[in-house]
Amino acid sequence: MTKQTFLHDKHVALGARMVDFAGWHMPVQYSSIIEEHKTVRESIGIFDVSHMGEIIVFGEDALPFLNKLVPQDVTKLVDLKAVYCQLTNKTGGIIDDLIIYKLEDKKYLIIANASRIDEDLNWMVRNKCGFDVTIVNESHNYSLLAVQGPKACDLMKSLGLTDLPEFFHIKRGELFNINVWISRTGYTGEDGVEILVRNEFSEYLWDKLLEAGKEFGIKPIGLGARDTLRLEAALHLYGNDLDEDTTPIEAGLAWSVAKNKTEDYNGKAKILEQLENGGSKKLVGLKMLDKGIARHGYDVYFNNEKVGVVTSGGISPIRGDNIALAYVKNLDNLAVGSTIQVLIRDKFYNAEIIKRPFVAKRNKENK
Amino acid sequence: MNESMLCTKTHEYVLEQGDKYEVGITDYAIEQLGDIVFIELPEVGAEFCKNEVFATIESVKAASEIYMPISGKIVEINEEIVDSPELLNDESYENKWFVKIESSADQVEFADLLDYSDYKEEIE
Repeated sequence: MTKQTFLHDKHVALGARMVDFAGWHMPVQYSSIIEEHKTVRESIGIFDVSHMGEIIVFGEDALPFLNKLVPQDVTKLVDLKAVYCQLTNKTGGIIDDLIIYKLEDKKYLIIANASRIDEDLNWMVRNKCGFDVTIVNESHNYSLLAVQGPKACDLMKSLGLTDLPEFFHIKRGELFNINVWISRTGYTGEDGVEILVRNEFSEYLWDKLLEAGKEFGIKPIGLGARDTLRLEAALHLYGNDLDEDTTPIEAGLAWSVAKNKTEDYNGKAKILEQLENGGSKKLVGLKMLDKGIARHGYDVYFNNEKVGVVTSGGISPIRGDNIALAYVKNLDNLAVGSTIQVLIRDKFYNAEIIKRPFVAKRNKENK
Repeated sequence: MNESMLCTKTHEYVLEQGDKYEVGITDYAIEQLGDIVFIELPEVGAEFCKNEVFATIESVKAASEIYMPISGKIVEINEEIVDSPELLNDESYENKWFVKIESSADQVEFADLLDYSDYKEEIE
């Protein structure tokens, strides 16, 4: 049974093309993916990402419990601060990638991928023994709206939210007299916020934001542009670029692994070993040199030998070329500047390994 | 859509034009694909059997293979859409054909093609 967000009828009324994604009936595009993509890069877009999961973890041992689950050091989180991390298995493989928010002492909010909520909860429960902690799946109670783009914060300020949270922080706020949580995060590489609101208010809030955002050029954005935007920003997509056989080190996420964490966590031995010596594979960014589009699953060759596979690929509307993320063998001669080949429909197309992200991020991280 | 078009269930069309046939994909297929960003067409002179892949079209989301509705030999390709694939999404652009072929296909090859009204029913 395909699930619908509380905004489903709004999307249909806006003329969206709906597709099934991770068990949800979601809008893939309203007008054109390329136009929607440019709207977010140039002004402001609003996304319904209510399919994503919200899990609350609280109790006396909430902190040591979470610290056992992720390679990040959760002890470093102060109130209302967020951290990007991964839920790792015993061998360091990624069960899901998450954002953990510290709401208050001994109470945390986890935002999880829609397709992984059940696995995440199962894994948390399996790791719960001996911890005084309560895990609550709030996913069915909350809607999540992402407002992203260079004008996103201008819109928020015009609505009275003059004191927005800093990058990767969350705050309680009021929008149109509705209580919301506002987080300075996103999945586009642009500045912006994600707004957590109880389901019963999501339709009202969606309409109000679209109306108030008109003067800033706001448009609804579907999952199609969400994917091209995150690819330009080289942000991983679970199921494409991350899975249970891939570690954070292999995924190029060493920056999100605490180097001096004293507490044990699932997969720690493997992750520390790879931090030292590297993994057997590594994630690289590709720019197509020949006219072809690399897609998920296409093989990567170097000197006539298969050395890897594309995990995400497509066009970059901003760069005007074709880009991809691929895993290749962890060899020194497969580095930025190397030319490799992608096998597309039985033909080799040259591509160059280039630095990630493909388009400079413009969120507060760099300001 | 031209009412003389014959269509496949996979959304290709063939249109008789004198001693040649024009082959392409239907407006419905274009609309479903969304933003078209890449088209790969065969070379003039190449020969294809019915239902053989002769072209590839890529939208932002995915690559799709295009099948020959009837067997034939390529005599002309639409260079304009190869150079500017986004023209296919432009409603005012009329030359949306992919290739022109010479064909000696017999009636058997046409038997499973849908005429305009049947195709319209198929996509509704």
